[in-house]
Amino acid sequence: MAKEIGKDRLGDFFAEGSRVRSRREWRGLKDTLYDYSRWLGIMFTLAKFVAKPRNVKAMFRYRWMANYLAVPMMVDRHTQGLRGEYLRICHIEQDLIIEDVAKLLDSLFRGDRRIGNDEEFSKKVVLVDENEMTAVMMGFPTLKGLSRETPSTYISVLLNQRAACHYIDVAQQFGLAGDVCPMPEAEAGVSIDDDAPVLGACAIQCNTTCDGSMLGNGVISMRLELKDGIPCFQLAAPLRHREDDVQEYAAQEIRNAIAFIEDKTGEKWDWNYYFECAKRVNIATKNRLNWLEMNKTDYPQVFGSNLALYTETNYMAICGKVPAFVKADEKITALAEQAYKAKKRAAKEYRHRAIVWGVQSHFYMDFLAWLLNCWGIVPLTDMLSMVSTRELVEEDTPENREQAYYDMAWLTENMIMRNRTHGGYKVLLDELWEFCEEFNADMVILWEHMSCKALDGMHGQFEAKAREHGIHLVWVSHDLFDPRVVSRQGVREQINNYMRTVMREEPLDPTLEVLPDEESW
Amino acid sequence: MKDLKHLLYFENLLQNAGNELIDQAKSDGGVCVAYVCENTPEPLLNLGNAFSIRLRAPRTNSMEMGTYYMTSFLCEYSRALLERAIEGGYNFSDCIIAPDGCSMMNRCVENMELLKTMSADNDKFFYEHMEIPMKADDNGLNLYVLQCKNHILTPLHDTFGIDVSDQAIRKAVAEHNRMCRLIRAIGEFRKGSEPAITGYEYAVITLATYAAPQALIMDRLEETLEELKKRKPDKTKYRARVVVVGSEVDDAEFIKLVEESGAYVCADRFCFGSFPGRDLIELTDDEDALTQICRQYMYRGQCPRMMNMEKMLGRRQYVNDLAREYNADGIIYEQVKFCDPWAYERMIGTHVLNEQFGYPVLSVDRPYNIDTSAGQMRTRVQAFVESIEIKKIQGGAD
Repeated sequence: MAKEIGKDRLGDFFAEGSRVRSRREWRGLKDTLYDYSRWLGIMFTLAKFVAKPRNVKAMFRYRWMANYLAVPMMVDRHTQGLRGEYLRICHIEQDLIIEDVAKLLDSLFRGDRRIGNDEEFSKKVVLVDENEMTAVMMGFPTLKGLSRETPSTYISVLLNQRAACHYIDVAQQFGLAGDVCPMPEAEAGVSIDDDAPVLGACAIQCNTTCDGSMLGNGVISMRLELKDGIPCFQLAAPLRHREDDVQEYAAQEIRNAIAFIEDKTGEKWDWNYYFECAKRVNIATKNRLNWLEMNKTDYPQVFGSNLALYTETNYMAICGKVPAFVKADEKITALAEQAYKAKKRAAKEYRHRAIVWGVQSHFYMDFLAWLLNCWGIVPLTDMLSMVSTRELVEEDTPENREQAYYDMAWLTENMIMRNRTHGGYKVLLDELWEFCEEFNADMVILWEHMSCKALDGMHGQFEAKAREHGIHLVWVSHDLFDPRVVSRQGVREQINNYMRTVMREEPLDPTLEVLPDEESW
Repeated sequence: MKDLKHLLYFENLLQNAGNELIDQAKSDGGVCVAYVCENTPEPLLNLGNAFSIRLRAPRTNSMEMGTYYMTSFLCEYSRALLERAIEGGYNFSDCIIAPDGCSMMNRCVENMELLKTMSADNDKFFYEHMEIPMKADDNGLNLYVLQCKNHILTPLHDTFGIDVSDQAIRKAVAEHNRMCRLIRAIGEFRKGSEPAITGYEYAVITLATYAAPQALIMDRLEETLEELKKRKPDKTKYRARVVVVGSEVDDAEFIKLVEESGAYVCADRFCFGSFPGRDLIELTDDEDALTQICRQYMYRGQCPRMMNMEKMLGRRQYVNDLAREYNADGIIYEQVKFCDPWAYERMIGTHVLNEQFGYPVLSVDRPYNIDTSAGQMRTRVQAFVESIEIKKIQGGAD
């Protein structure tokens, strides 16, 4: 039990066969009190949520809702070993995300024909994909863009590593090949199982990250359109998104999507609201760039899970529509600058500076904290955080209104993951080594999501280029949503083996090398 | 039935990625335009002295180099192509046009580019990647036209001096249609209860039109058509008639295996098949030829990457229409293992064709080279044929 960073044996908190850790971490009086108060805050958010009868009803209707019992444990996983500013940054982000997801769930069940059945509310809902930039909703202040896949599969797996297994099995029993990406597979499974809330005036689907994701949408839209009577618009974002000769097509798709929403909801696009949101997107981009600049120095501050999870939410799902995220950005930046000036570090020793590339294991998102605590590998940034840094136009002029379509198209083309998995090898392969140089990284942790064809297809090229650049390349195979294929320990073993056999190093915290977390949430 | 006069010739053309007709066309000054996806408008690759060859990797066994570069999780077709490219099997080509049809083909051709598999000793060689629409609508058409200009016509003209005028395109379409008419006419012989051509023979002939310069096989196609008109069919040995639907099949041995198992392949709805790949392209004079070609490719395409609802529903209706027209008793949905688009389309199509349209459906995945898993596939098809027979005996009851 220690106040100082790195003094605890973090592996001792894990107990064989247990879903939860054996006790809370002692972080010194001030940090422990802060952490505990935030834990209470999370419990309060959850209590507020379950106080509504319709949400309790939803608990019994939807299988995936049971995963939400594990919310506090998810936060604990991400705060492992953190102290001071790092702990506070983590809580600011995670607590806000939890609040946002609670609101999302509440809205879904309010409009759900099976639960709240608020028809007037449902008419104001536009369903969006889980992995979709919500830029086309930036001009509809009176509408709600809600994603059903985010709570049913995406967040569920963050909470409980086995959350998607049932839906993966459902899809395969229905006849889907077992070699596709388990994320769209699980989303299709939810739809096949009829286990998603039914609401909304219409839906906007998008060819998001990969072929699987795009085709999985077909399963979902068949239920939406043919069974539930909810019209769908398929927004086709170009794949070769860096090419000039696809941008007009992309912009027209945005115009068509907006026209579709107007037609189905009766609402009109509001330019004032759009430019207000665009300003907030620019603020988020500015802050993210600020954090990334710090991460290029010897004193990175917002990195690992703190960067990855928050960027995904803020960039893609929020996309300027929620003012609370601007405040959170400002607080995070202030804390990061404070720690940077004091030359603080989040672990007792930084041995390697790593870029984390590829598609991260969803059932093991706290792996980045483990990398730091166990081996002193600093995950400076990750592929999913290296998204668009382009500034959007934010003044309302006739020219800017036209440019805004291109900005929204650019964001949609460059949504998380797809901005690297599509667009040709340059964005996936070549830019990685540029980032290594910029961030002065000596190591690349390369998540090899085994069903991600776009990434696997560059396997040999990654190896060749890593040799050419003299960078340590550590492959970490996994199956994204399915821990039955590669377990969390299986993920860790790949790092352990590399660090011991190639790097000939000993861990910073040997208790973390092998963890009995097979049964944990 | 008496053997078709040119069948062995066509079969020999398919034994390797390259063939004597490619060599002949090259020695006559032809420019070989390689391509890898059915969404590439073929007539545009056959302008002037250019001729198209759709890449295959026949008789593939080991794919170790392809697997090293792309792992074992990518479809075997893409790995086999890369393997063959590394071996120098496509050195006959002068350029390659690759739409981002699917991630795997995209990565396959990108690896070829990075490894300079065809361009190491050929300064003029170019790799072109093009965006193709994912929906059939006006916006998609504008994109298609622009992409064809920028990634097919302009590079062909600038690099090889090929005439890409409207007149040249119309001439290429006329030649393309001549070939398509022949293939369609030959395919008509599959409709009868005692067909004058086997599904295997038809697959070989159709494949040859993708794998060899079309102009150089036209005479033999015409002769084959005339031969079929007089050919006396055998009393049928088949126990069921099936439509094969799915991802790319460039291996006629797969069709042969299905037929040896008792099912006559009466229609072919797969990449490298004749539906819709050998549809005629109708041109009018009131619009430029390029736009008309792109429109017809976009609207007729049956690739599962087309994501709008009309296209999704249309794909299953298309299979139903084919099955009716060709009097099919059942459908075989197939996909090359690890093919994402067809994994989903196969799943949904299997249910829709069975539950909505009432066909018995066999749903299978398969290796690229069927010889590596022939026994398993044979058992599946035999069981399927038996189930159709039992259904017939029971008067259609489940």
